[in-house]
Amino acid sequence: MADVDAARRKLEAALGPEAVLSDPLALRLYARDASMVEGGCALVALPTTTEQVQACVRAAVTHDLPIVPRGSGTGLAGAATPIGDSLVVATARMTGIVEVRPEDRLAWVEPGLPNLDLADHLRPMGWTYAPDPSSQQTSSIGGNVNTNAGGPHCLAYGVTSAHVLALDVVMPDGSLERLGAEGPEAAGYDLRGVVVGSEGTLGIVTRVCVRILPTPPAVRTMLFGFDTVEACAATVSAIIARGVVPAAVEMMDQGIVRAVESFAHAGYPVDAAAVLLVEVDGTDAGVAAQTHEVEAAADANGVSSVRVASDHVERALLWKGRKSAFGAIAQIAPHYHLHDCVVPRTKLVEVMRGVYAIAERHGLIVTNVFHAGDGNLHPLFSFDRSVPGTLERVLRASDEVVRLCVDAGGALSGEHGIGLEKRDFMSLVFSAEDLAAQACLRAAFDPDGRMNPRKVLPDGARCGEFAIAATGSGHAASDAADLPEGSWI
Amino acid sequence: MDLIHPRTVVDVAEALGTASQDGISVLVVGGRRHLDKGNPTDVDVELWTTQLDQVVAYEPDEMLVVVQSGMRCGALAELLAQHRQEWPADAPADATVGGVIASGSTSARRLRVGALRDTVVEMQLVTGDGRVVTSGARTVKNVTGYDVHRLMTGSLGTLGVITQVALKVRPMPERRRTLVAVGDVALATTIAAEVPLVAGVLGTHEGLEVRLEGWPDEIDELASAVTRLAGDTVALDEDSSFPRIPWWLWPDGGTVLEVAVVPSSLPGILAGSTNYAALAGVGIAWVGAASLGEIVAVRRRVEGTGGVAPAIRGPGGLGGTLPVPDVHRRLKASFDPANVLAPGRAWTPGTAAPRAPTSGG
Repeated sequence: MADVDAARRKLEAALGPEAVLSDPLALRLYARDASMVEGGCALVALPTTTEQVQACVRAAVTHDLPIVPRGSGTGLAGAATPIGDSLVVATARMTGIVEVRPEDRLAWVEPGLPNLDLADHLRPMGWTYAPDPSSQQTSSIGGNVNTNAGGPHCLAYGVTSAHVLALDVVMPDGSLERLGAEGPEAAGYDLRGVVVGSEGTLGIVTRVCVRILPTPPAVRTMLFGFDTVEACAATVSAIIARGVVPAAVEMMDQGIVRAVESFAHAGYPVDAAAVLLVEVDGTDAGVAAQTHEVEAAADANGVSSVRVASDHVERALLWKGRKSAFGAIAQIAPHYHLHDCVVPRTKLVEVMRGVYAIAERHGLIVTNVFHAGDGNLHPLFSFDRSVPGTLERVLRASDEVVRLCVDAGGALSGEHGIGLEKRDFMSLVFSAEDLAAQACLRAAFDPDGRMNPRKVLPDGARCGEFAIAATGSGHAASDAADLPEGSWI
Repeated sequence: MDLIHPRTVVDVAEALGTASQDGISVLVVGGRRHLDKGNPTDVDVELWTTQLDQVVAYEPDEMLVVVQSGMRCGALAELLAQHRQEWPADAPADATVGGVIASGSTSARRLRVGALRDTVVEMQLVTGDGRVVTSGARTVKNVTGYDVHRLMTGSLGTLGVITQVALKVRPMPERRRTLVAVGDVALATTIAAEVPLVAGVLGTHEGLEVRLEGWPDEIDELASAVTRLAGDTVALDEDSSFPRIPWWLWPDGGTVLEVAVVPSSLPGILAGSTNYAALAGVGIAWVGAASLGEIVAVRRRVEGTGGVAPAIRGPGGLGGTLPVPDVHRRLKASFDPANVLAPGRAWTPGTAAPRAPTSGG
């Protein structure tokens, strides 16, 4: 039986009263992340040390509260949306850079550190941390770890998992484990690799050892405009066919280009059907060679406009256009629902056309900005929630987008995660046995199911018995009544 | 020794179902190249994956290839080379893809190509009790549920049998060149730090080897930078292997340890060794140890830095005195409930502290 008051007293003693929130306003603030789902919680704890995180977990164990780990709350899938009488453990106050060791190509940081703060800290030292999700100004390294975050530069450099050497994790029983190692290999199974992308369901990360890379000596950023989205997408394949894997290949359609241009004034071609932002890096000679190949690939596909950044100011401006996309769309409508599906690169155009058709059918405005290099689409539905019936249309359209991506051979999520929002789609891509194996993995970490319950796996996925209540419709027929509205259930 | 030699994943599932029922212990074998890695295990039968050698799908445009686990690395390299692509495992040609992944093998070009575990994006496997499980997706980015395949990578065939994988591949570099120079691990470390875009810097007991890969002008540019630091260098031809004499071609006898430490610890670790090859900037070193005494001496130095030094050829096991988390025990119990997959070969947690009883959350 959960005892919230006793847990609160214990937490106040361990963390100090100012670090434990239980007033209605605070609980309301922490009742959601950046997804469309609103839940509720009983307590919020803001620890500043690993020991305090352990105290939080132990209090939750003693007084039988579910735990919901939270970073900056920028997650888009509801993984940090609390449910029921839960204890939210937010690592937002743990923002330290513990040490940077260039000689070992690593840095130890605390989980609440914003991604961009790490990059800014490393830059003057001549080093960089490669993963750069668009949310990097606010999203935290700990959150990035839990969603295996990507970003534009993971085409050449790989996603977060390739840049995490070790993790200090407070396990669901309150014990502390170091998973992975500072060196290239560690003893034991790759538990580090399993925790990365586990959406706060296996433990609470309290320190992260990241791999840092020397800043490449040269970089070049180019913007190409095309008259058709087909030509734009074909250029991506042509670049790769020429043996070039650019550091980043971002594609934006006309709708998003126009929104961005009137917002950021980055000089994007507003008449183009689609634009391609390409960045190559390496040595001076390597960059020159790659630039030549990229331009040739664009030429061969009938490029209509070319801009090459001549200095770092212009480069920053071109990137500002891409990275402000989600701010710019506020001009279109007050609300948006951002998707994240990943498909084989060769299916990009087909899926994009399908997304346009879905939007048209449901009378919605859709814009597209995506990581074309790795087939990760981000269709954006813009809408006004106050218009009756709109939200329902958005959810129906979103449901169709997910199915479209799965039918094209894709996954449910490229970088945002499953959380609450997509858990009941899991049976579209995994068999009952696949899900049972995942449940076994989760139970090995958390036998009591205390850590972020009801997230990622659909209700009914169990380790040991292979009976999952899958209805095949993406809507579990089980006890969904107590889940927050907007969970698509 | 009895043999299981399956032709299909269904054969594998049936064989393991039976083995679990009857308590028959099984060693999964691919190309026999990584069998020495792991603690000694006594098994009843071997399961050979070598007939599971089909290409399932290959889309050069996607930079993804899907193959069965028993495919030989050499055959995969030939297939990919037709489209000027590669899976940078740098393993012996007769090693199998599954063996390389299950053993957690390291590429000699890890400085540039990263860890092989990050190239595995989807996997089909069979658990110890014969359940067929797929994890991941055939996309280069994916956060959809739990990455069971990451658990299998490097697990030495103790949790399941890998039957099929989707691998991220990369364009083959336009040109390659290996430079040989006089120098030690300290100089190798300097080169790796000052010329960061080289594909590999190997410090050996006989001198230095630096691997350059990229566009023609880029290689010239990198070669000048290396030569400025190393003094005279000799360039080997385009087709030379890197390293020139990989550890698996070292003379037989003795043990080869695969040391993994932070890069700055390499010179100190290798100070007493007379037969080694170290990947500067990465922190991997292959160290020849002629006696148990040498193994112990190397491991003592390695463990002082928080690293590991499993034997990958010859006797010596995994080493390591640090207990691994209790999660290991529960994972083994879930994925291989009858404990038939190479019992004792992988890491065993110390005796777990009793857990406080709790009610369900």
